[in-house]
Amino acid sequence: MSEWGTYTLADFLMFSPRVYFRLIERYNQEFWPLQLVFIAGALALLVPAALQASRARIAVLPLFSLAWAFCAWQFLWTRYASINWAMSYAAAAFFAQAGLLVLAALLPRSPTNSGDLRHHGGIALAVCGLLAYPFIALVAGRSPATAETFGMMPDPTVATTFGAMLMVGQKRLWLLLPIPIVWCLYSGLTLWAMEDLGALAPFATVLALLVFLVAGKR
Amino acid sequence: MAITRRATVQGLGIGALLPLAPRLARGQPAGIRTRPIPSSGEPIPVVGLGTWITFNVGDDPVLMAECAAVMAAFFEGGGRMIDSSPMYSSSQPTIGYGLRKLGYPDRLFSAEKVWTSDPGKGGAQIEASRAYWGVDKFDLMQVHNLVSWEEHLPALLEMKAAGQLRYVGITTSEGRRHREIEKVMASQPIDFVQATYNILDREIEERILPLAREKGIAVIVNRPFREGDLIRQIEDEPLPEWLAETGARNWAQFLLKFIISHPAVTCVIPATTRADHVRENLEAASGALPDEKLRRRMIDYVEAL
Repeated sequence: MSEWGTYTLADFLMFSPRVYFRLIERYNQEFWPLQLVFIAGALALLVPAALQASRARIAVLPLFSLAWAFCAWQFLWTRYASINWAMSYAAAAFFAQAGLLVLAALLPRSPTNSGDLRHHGGIALAVCGLLAYPFIALVAGRSPATAETFGMMPDPTVATTFGAMLMVGQKRLWLLLPIPIVWCLYSGLTLWAMEDLGALAPFATVLALLVFLVAGKR
Repeated sequence: MAITRRATVQGLGIGALLPLAPRLARGQPAGIRTRPIPSSGEPIPVVGLGTWITFNVGDDPVLMAECAAVMAAFFEGGGRMIDSSPMYSSSQPTIGYGLRKLGYPDRLFSAEKVWTSDPGKGGAQIEASRAYWGVDKFDLMQVHNLVSWEEHLPALLEMKAAGQLRYVGITTSEGRRHREIEKVMASQPIDFVQATYNILDREIEERILPLAREKGIAVIVNRPFREGDLIRQIEDEPLPEWLAETGARNWAQFLLKFIISHPAVTCVIPATTRADHVRENLEAASGALPDEKLRRRMIDYVEAL
């Protein structure tokens, strides 16, 4: 339709960067130091999974569903939806993804070995999601109080989950990918419309996933 | 349960916040320009207050207080029309917060919109909006961006006939669906039309503004600063030496004076998060206005920047 050609990315942004980042700041302050608990918990799961402990590999994605559900409930539904009505739909999608991650325990996994590109790529992506992502706020010139961390905010939760999926050699991955990929595109475009340097991170997350999936295909 | 202004003010125990109320209830401050709403003759100040983006602050107490300060400055400066929409997320509850804090100024002219593609949900949406604002009824209800206007408009006209609304209108923005807007203006008994108009986006001068004059329809102008882009684009440029002739003191007033100097424009609704900016905007509603020759000069100057 010709009417759509008259819209720019900024036309879809219904809040100011100041409002958005203050929302994250207040959210982080309210839950501090839960951010550290989420990161420590994820590391406690991911390290044994990276070392090929089979029980950890089975448990990692179902347990990550807790992070997705927390993000959906506390950030998307309770807070972000107050300034962006579309986030009620995003929250529903995140809850659905949490359900899919629980079901992942029933899906088959392919044996991976420490030489696999996917396995290594997964470790790298998970490390980025858990430990590097919080510093993007500083790189983007924002207050450290706006740091995005695994379990609290969607973007690092997606990045870490992608890493875990690659690492544990999950089969039928296509079932688990659509919601996080769509989220990354949405989040990247939103940050781009706000002219925030952090916009590059969600796009880079999807790109890294696709590269490791394709390059690691045997 | 219906929320009335008196019940809300008493229930919240915010009487202590009401010293502003007597001042806000006074008549029109001298000097502020008004234009009559053609369908009723009711005068309305030519500068109102938009809330797109600026009032969407969630439940952030600091930002909500800033918005309430903007509203206080707006009413104190003689403003009346505040415009919002269900599409603007938390802007409606923010307006309600400000109105409660200010004791529901009598001079408020509430302009809202219905925005749903499901005609069956229009009534419930209007009621939800009314509850957010905490008003007894809206002065003006508009069909947002012409969404399902064929179904919503008859319902709004019925509400007007029943005394549940005072005026009915339609809206668009950024030059979209102007042919359809003209069709509705020509065929429906609407009181208001809202569209985008500024010194660079002047498409509505061709047909919509003349049609509004011909049909006796009030015109609300949105996006006078292109959501701030226009100001950011020219704020570092030198103001014209002949600025005083326009009656403006700065770029914002220059741009607003251009808009309200068009005789078919009833009210322009700039949005802001700052009380000093709202005062500046309201100042543009007083003093001299450029004539046709000077308007042309203003266009040439800005286009040459």
